[in-house]
Amino acid sequence: MYATEAARSQARPGTRHPRWLWPSLTMPGALWLTILFLLPFYVALAIAGGTFNPLFLNPVPIWNPLNWRSGYLRQVYSELFGAHAYLDATVLRTLLFVVIASAICLLIGYPVAYFVARQAGRRKGLYLVALVAPFWVSYMMRMLAWQNLLQGNGLINHALIVAHLITEPVNWLSGMPATVVLGLVYGYVPYVIIVLYAGLDRIDPSLLEAARDLGLGRARTFLHVTLPLSRQVIYAGALITALPMAGDFYTNTMLSGVPTTTMIGNVISNSLSTPGQGGEGAVLVLFLLVLMLAPMIWYVRSSSRTAGGELL
Amino acid sequence: MSRRDFLARSGGAALAVSAAGFLLDACASSGQGSSTSATSYALARPGQPVTWPVAGSEVIAGGLRPEQNATLQLYNWEEYVYTKVVDAFAARYHCKVEITTFGTMDEALAKISTGQVNFDVFWPTVDVVGQLVTGKFLRPLNHSYIGNIDQVWPQFQNPFYDQGWHYTVPYTVYTTGIAYRKDHVTQDPYSMPNGWSMLWNPAYRGYESILDDYREGLSLGLLRNGLTDLNTTSQAQITRAKNSLIELIAMDKIQINNSYTAIPDDQVWVQQAWSGAIIPTPSEMPKGQSPSVIGYWFPPNGRGPVNNDTMAILSSGSNPVLAHLFLNYMLEYSNAMENFAWLGYQPPQRQITPASLVKDGLVPSNLASCTVLPSYFDVGYRELELSPSVNLAWTDAWQQFTAGT
Repeated sequence: MYATEAARSQARPGTRHPRWLWPSLTMPGALWLTILFLLPFYVALAIAGGTFNPLFLNPVPIWNPLNWRSGYLRQVYSELFGAHAYLDATVLRTLLFVVIASAICLLIGYPVAYFVARQAGRRKGLYLVALVAPFWVSYMMRMLAWQNLLQGNGLINHALIVAHLITEPVNWLSGMPATVVLGLVYGYVPYVIIVLYAGLDRIDPSLLEAARDLGLGRARTFLHVTLPLSRQVIYAGALITALPMAGDFYTNTMLSGVPTTTMIGNVISNSLSTPGQGGEGAVLVLFLLVLMLAPMIWYVRSSSRTAGGELL
Repeated sequence: MSRRDFLARSGGAALAVSAAGFLLDACASSGQGSSTSATSYALARPGQPVTWPVAGSEVIAGGLRPEQNATLQLYNWEEYVYTKVVDAFAARYHCKVEITTFGTMDEALAKISTGQVNFDVFWPTVDVVGQLVTGKFLRPLNHSYIGNIDQVWPQFQNPFYDQGWHYTVPYTVYTTGIAYRKDHVTQDPYSMPNGWSMLWNPAYRGYESILDDYREGLSLGLLRNGLTDLNTTSQAQITRAKNSLIELIAMDKIQINNSYTAIPDDQVWVQQAWSGAIIPTPSEMPKGQSPSVIGYWFPPNGRGPVNNDTMAILSSGSNPVLAHLFLNYMLEYSNAMENFAWLGYQPPQRQITPASLVKDGLVPSNLASCTVLPSYFDVGYRELELSPSVNLAWTDAWQQFTAGT
């Protein structure tokens, strides 16, 4: 009898698969997450709570959490919130850039994704390939290309002068926040479009037809049906761009390099490559992670409510 | 809490902030060093030369044959040695050579300090020689393999930072000055009382840059204020230098980068630059533009930042004989000059004269001021090793500037 019960506990009724089969299939993913996320995260914690090599001033992690030190944490706290704080402005600037760039990404991305999902017809595949095409070129190369386009004697200045919109070349690369924001938009807008497309393509056409049958015009169908149904995917698209943008340092380095546009990613990058500042860099990495956790949690809660049937 | 306070409280180091030297308590984490006893070493200065200890057992014997079927491992800055010269070495000694590169000296030190690397030859800056020797990461040299040392300037045959050249040989010399575009810049820096202040001119707003290097950047701030101790331990002077740099943000929208194409690309008109990086720039000029529009200012009396890079052998390498031969090979006049023609950074070879460099086309005539003279090392200002706490005061000031406060 025990053997029979044991066999039942190993297999679901009506299947021949043992119960452990499906959970075990998650092992590769779990292992992947452990190696590529949790371990580096723990290393960052160990460095943030660690000390440094007295000779080279490079960070020395402390692996036992009971022995972690708070020196770097207090250091960063004073730089962010203390009487002589100077990183607070950098954080606010970063958030401002990210919010503006994400909003522009959505404004550009939504109509494109909507067109491909709902209007492209048989050419949908072609458009999708075109959307993915920017990923074939490395981010560094794309930023280098923008450097060339935006420099004093670059094509953009030439075009604007020919069109009589400007008389003298504009120095786009001399710390203009607009250049950095547009660089971020350019770099991340394909991600938004693909996420939005995936969501818009899944909207059941019969819902739209029903709305039209009930007398709604195209605009009101969009406003009252399509837009509410795509709300979650808009949040997802905004998050997917905002998270990497917040830690981005390369765009600003390539398209500005002027301290007035320094983002928190630049401060982290500089800290990690400066003797004696590695631990501080690790604390800033964790600070950024906590900062980004808030919208992430909000998104998860929001999507849980949606899954519970509030919207659909 | 300042970073210096943190350093003092963290228990990592017992510090003496003086320029004379400092104490390191426990080298347990410094790779090969496993001593927990306090170690001290002096900070090398021209007036306070340092002779590093040499353990006889670590010096290889003379007259050994080069390692057979070996691959010599070089660990160098990006694009800091001409591969054709390296290939010729490989052909001469029937070996392979592999070059691994690093972007910053701190990145290189972090890797070397793990003790897990097998590089044979390394290119340290002068200010890290003490750290590397103290951590026992460098192999003492056997001079019998390096006869070409007599080709270099006398001061590098017995440098203050490594008396008796027990660990290093010189590689290049350079000055840090101001490169500028004569077609945009109306000032003549040679007629200015303080040429460094050329960067503090709003007429070039948006077209100025300084080096992305905390020592070089803050040294510029010091020089702007007429302060010439580029290893200052004075917090007041460091703050003054920082404030001068912060002025540049609002006044000139100063860029921070090490781009050597910004001047020929017309993205920058006034740039703090290394002499060796500027020498090749005329070849980068777009077609139709005259390379002669590029100028380089360094105080003609030599009273400006001047320094040299070195080559050394890492103790963890497995080809010490080939490594010695490589150092000797790079000091050979013909090889040093072929490397210079490609690199732009001048080797301190005795046979070089400023006139010969221009005449031979190695330095463009409009950039003759990029030539480094031996006398510069008598009167110029050198950026040298700082004690850890002073170093942190410098990096702290630099971070406040780069954060855009």
